[in-house]
Amino acid sequence: MVQVKYFGIIAEAAQCETENIAEENMTLSKILSDLSSRHSLGDYNFQIAVNRKIVSNLSEQLLEDGDEIAFLPPFSGG
Amino acid sequence: MKKVFLEGAISPEFITDSIAKHQGKHSIGAHNIFLGQVRGDEVEGKKVESIDFTCYEEMAHEKLHEIREAAFEKFDLTCMHIYHSLGNVKVGGICIFVFVSAPRRKQVYEATEWLVNQVKSEVPIFGKEIFENEESQWKVNS
Repeated sequence: MVQVKYFGIIAEAAQCETENIAEENMTLSKILSDLSSRHSLGDYNFQIAVNRKIVSNLSEQLLEDGDEIAFLPPFSGG
Repeated sequence: MKKVFLEGAISPEFITDSIAKHQGKHSIGAHNIFLGQVRGDEVEGKKVESIDFTCYEEMAHEKLHEIREAAFEKFDLTCMHIYHSLGNVKVGGICIFVFVSAPRRKQVYEATEWLVNQVKSEVPIFGKEIFENEESQWKVNS
């Protein structure tokens, strides 16, 4: 199981803050394209974090059970 | 884990208490403080009334830990504190408080600016500006 978290404007667009994905042997790029199309996120600007680290190369890396993916819109603290 | 996030605006009393707590540390010769205040911007005739802050708290704490470690490597500091609001902060409220202390002043000026820039660019905090007419827009840092 992989947990997906959405923040800020992305959570509003997806109309949820977290969801669990139960499929096995998913690549990061596959899950991102599935979720982007399911929640119509194509027009939004966001970064992806896996296990709380920003991933710059959205590769074919296989996700493992317990991984946490986050959709992060531009930061605007301060 | 150091406490960073505070619910609502950061009060002036919290800030003065923080200063008072450092008066017993006699190696300190200079403090510098940055306070960020919610600005009542006007966007297309609508005035910002408050900002709602949310964050990815687990990642924010990891990132702040890295920033803190890097700050102590980079500057000769005695101590440093970062506080940021979550939830609603009205116009005029303080939403970020960065407090840097060192033996001498040169380091605290540089460290404060570096830290505020790091928090704004690296820590997953999201602000939503709420207008007087209850409409809203997601804040973008400039």
